[in-house]
Amino acid sequence: MIFIMAWRNIWRNKSRSIVIMLSIVIGLIAGISVLALYKGMMTSRVRTVIDAETAHLQIHDRDFKKDYHPSFILKNANSLFQSLSSLPEIKVAAPRSVVQAMLITATGSAGVQVNGVVPEYEYKVSGLKEKIKEGEGFHDNKKNEIIIGRKLAEKMKLKTGSKLVITFTDSADNIISSAFRIIAIYQSDNDPLDELNVYVPMQALNELLMTGNDFHEIAILLNSDEDLQKVQQILMKQFPAFSVESWKDISPETDFMVKTVDEYSYIIMIIILIALAFGILNTMLMSVLERTREIGMMVALGTSRSRIFLLVLLETVFLTIAGTPIGLTVAYLITDYYHTHGLNLSGMGEDMMASFGFNTLIYPSFPWEKLAGIMIMVIGTAIISCLLPAAKALRLQPVEALRR
Amino acid sequence: MLFIFSCIEGSTQDAKEIVRKADEKMRGNTSQADITIKTVRTGWSREMTVRTWMKGHDLALIIVLAPAKDKGIGFLKRKKEVWNWMPSLEKTIKLPPSMMSQSWMGTDFTNDDLVKESSIVNDYEHSVTGDTIIDGRSCYIIQMIPTPTAAVVWGKLIVCIDKKDLLELHTRFYEEDGTHVNTMNAYDVRLMDGRLIPTRFEMIPVDKKNQKTVMIYKKVQYNRPMDDGLFTTERMKSLIE
Amino acid sequence: MWIIKLAWKNLWRNRSRTAITVAAIFFAVILSTTAESLKQGVFDNLVKNVVSFYTGYIQVHKTGYQDEQILDNSLTVSREIEQKILSSENVSGLTPRLESFALASSKEITKGCMVAGISPDEENRITSLQNKIVKGSYLHSNDRSVLVAEGLADRLKLSVNDTIYLIGQGYHGATAAGKYAVKGILKFGSPQLNDKILFMTLATAQNLFAAEGMITSYILSINNEKKAGATAAGIQRSIGSDYEVMSWEEILPDIRQHIEADSNNMKVVQGILYLLICFGIFSTLLMMIAERKFEMAMLVAIGMKKWRLMLLFVTESIFTVVIGCIAGIAVSIPLIIYLNRNPIRIGGETGRAYERFGFEAIFPTSTDSSIFLYQALVVLVIGLALSVYPVVKVISLRPVTAMKR
Repeated sequence: MIFIMAWRNIWRNKSRSIVIMLSIVIGLIAGISVLALYKGMMTSRVRTVIDAETAHLQIHDRDFKKDYHPSFILKNANSLFQSLSSLPEIKVAAPRSVVQAMLITATGSAGVQVNGVVPEYEYKVSGLKEKIKEGEGFHDNKKNEIIIGRKLAEKMKLKTGSKLVITFTDSADNIISSAFRIIAIYQSDNDPLDELNVYVPMQALNELLMTGNDFHEIAILLNSDEDLQKVQQILMKQFPAFSVESWKDISPETDFMVKTVDEYSYIIMIIILIALAFGILNTMLMSVLERTREIGMMVALGTSRSRIFLLVLLETVFLTIAGTPIGLTVAYLITDYYHTHGLNLSGMGEDMMASFGFNTLIYPSFPWEKLAGIMIMVIGTAIISCLLPAAKALRLQPVEALRR
Repeated sequence: MLFIFSCIEGSTQDAKEIVRKADEKMRGNTSQADITIKTVRTGWSREMTVRTWMKGHDLALIIVLAPAKDKGIGFLKRKKEVWNWMPSLEKTIKLPPSMMSQSWMGTDFTNDDLVKESSIVNDYEHSVTGDTIIDGRSCYIIQMIPTPTAAVVWGKLIVCIDKKDLLELHTRFYEEDGTHVNTMNAYDVRLMDGRLIPTRFEMIPVDKKNQKTVMIYKKVQYNRPMDDGLFTTERMKSLIE
Repeated sequence: MWIIKLAWKNLWRNRSRTAITVAAIFFAVILSTTAESLKQGVFDNLVKNVVSFYTGYIQVHKTGYQDEQILDNSLTVSREIEQKILSSENVSGLTPRLESFALASSKEITKGCMVAGISPDEENRITSLQNKIVKGSYLHSNDRSVLVAEGLADRLKLSVNDTIYLIGQGYHGATAAGKYAVKGILKFGSPQLNDKILFMTLATAQNLFAAEGMITSYILSINNEKKAGATAAGIQRSIGSDYEVMSWEEILPDIRQHIEADSNNMKVVQGILYLLICFGIFSTLLMMIAERKFEMAMLVAIGMKKWRLMLLFVTESIFTVVIGCIAGIAVSIPLIIYLNRNPIRIGGETGRAYERFGFEAIFPTSTDSSIFLYQALVVLVIGLALSVYPVVKVISLRPVTAMKR
């Protein structure tokens, strides 16, 4: 009975019902879009970090990160590297020799990190080949080839084909200088890293460092992000002498950014919900006041107060239930469209985005994992905000209400 | 045909030989010199006197004699490494690679110039490209292109060497794209310790106005016997007391 | 005049209805001011945190120093210039600094580092350097010892009371060399600073670099952080082109860009908020019309001109909206001041991450008065624009049909 009455009441004043429904629809769309946008930005940032910068995991000698001294090689690096292929979770791994160096040209110098890489593995792990904007990749059997970032190239006024000299200390503390020729210039989404990292063939660097066939770093890419902790645990047990770090350890600022944005999006969600709540509260309160006579009559005719309370509640619930699927569908369609087509944020300035390691093309991602939470919050907000109007309806004195 | 070949061969050989001889002339097997170095900048200039010992390409020692405040500061080069002795701190430090491209004692020379193992004979391909006259002396113009693997930042050097006395009187340093970066001029050719050498050198950076470094040789001694033991940090500390 | 009286009476006639409409506006103002002041506050706090790491809000150098940061581009300490800067509007204090690079060496290890000669008390007033001490103690103005950042100290394997050697290039090519006791270890959130900076008193630094009476920069503190740009421009005019005056926006362009980008994001969110506010206000107006259809029809039927009715409704709307806005401002001021004094704390792991990077783990609100006025004005405009709807309804009113119900 109450159900039917509530249903009819909704249809009695269509514009009011539509306003409430629309508020819920807009609230949902807004909330989900904001979450989707932030999720998209963060997923893309995390993907960039994993696929182009740090990989999932890195193995070093325990002391390597303290001073980046080239003598801290991974002992028996090659057998360690071979043994990694037995873990099914590991997609691909890349060995690297790493040394801090000065890059010197006729007119200036800059501090860089020289990465000695094996092209076939490096291309797979950090996508170096795809990042190359000018020139080609490494050639076999050519030793003095170097790939540098665009940011560094601009700063030092270097072009493909330019020669430069790199100076560093080898594993026995001798100062070594060697000439390299730029065969390619790469550009990733992260300017500061582009300015720091240069790539040379590992064999060439090892000969200069006198580290033989050993190297300093293994970067590991997994088949799935979910295996991160598990594989990290396994490797830590297997190689207790080495440090096994995940991307979260290596790039704490990315993890920090993801967490901050999570916090941000919840605050935004709460503000939207409060606005939604006031909208519903006002409208329902109005609708109760409008029906003072009617409600007074019902009470006078013996309708119990709990039923009246239920009536107001049900009206809101119906409207919410009607609004939710619409809101969700529209929000899904919008995010899905941009998820496939990408949302171009280059209006914010490409340089700015790059300096924070973001791609300008954002692919918002429907926040499935937060969906239940959002729905509970929206429906909860709707119900809570109609409690006051419902209580108001209860307090109406039938006689007084009828008198008006 | 054979004749033409040998001719070209001959000319590159000659160019290398000329540079080698000029280099040898300035260095000797060993040398000890007192040099005044003047750093000229917009608005100020600074002068210091150093005593240098050199043996071959690998060993060198520089001790500051004046001004009084810096007296006793030493730089020791062994192969590619440079140690710096600071008498006021009683401390020797080894210069890290990051310092190599920095200015040496505020001059237009870098620390790297001290260490430079790169040899103007072995690290370049030489060819005579013409001749000219400098200060009334007839000179070869020799173009020097670094060999592909040489750890040299320059793209090209143009050197003018006196034909008769084999004196390096003028050098220009170019980047690979042809930009002229530095010029080194040599003047005041004198007989020092039985050798005819230029005694005043000026290093002039092209893109910086009113800026240069002048080196004047006050005293030089060539080919005196020199013990390798001289080139140690211990000896560096005790040479000037 | 009678219209105003009638409108006022109408408002009082149905108090609950008026209260609800006023409440809609009232909450709209509170929400939008809170959202805006939270946004401003978070950005201001970000800037405050970042500039207090090291740079300060405004710096004064000799012209050319920003591009080529060498000692030869330093300036002579001058009372006259200091007075000119201090007497500029909005400037609350200044501290001199002499900065240069040097090699820092412990027994075995040598690393490049940045040496900052500071005047300890004034520096502390502006960048709260003393709070960053984690071991040992802060400098006194006549100390000859140094404070070393944690990362640099670790690399050099130095601890409090150890000796650090500094070797570098002084002013006009002089040789700089000195040995100092480590008096304290500082911890900076920013890895760039933490790994390479070292502090000593200004006099010690001037002595080390043979730069008597010279400094590389004045760091300024200001009263109103919002006006950093204008203040910098004002100082520039007063001290002339021999000096360059830079605000934090020029010194840290990436932070400015970050804020701009985030502001754009927030604009979208704010748009959504306004939309929801519109819906809230609109639905109350809708109710009101429905409720008063009979009354309106009656008035027209007994001969009231439609334009007078329209005027009546507009007056009522203005009253409601203005009352709502004023009430909203009246309540949001203490609320926002409260949130400014007791900011929202970020707890848990995120909070710790904030602190690790040297940021305060709080979301404070900004108490800038323009926020209240601006946001109230926006809501006022929204409210007034929406109250055009009842007016439109009056025009299309057919008394007979309306009274029939």
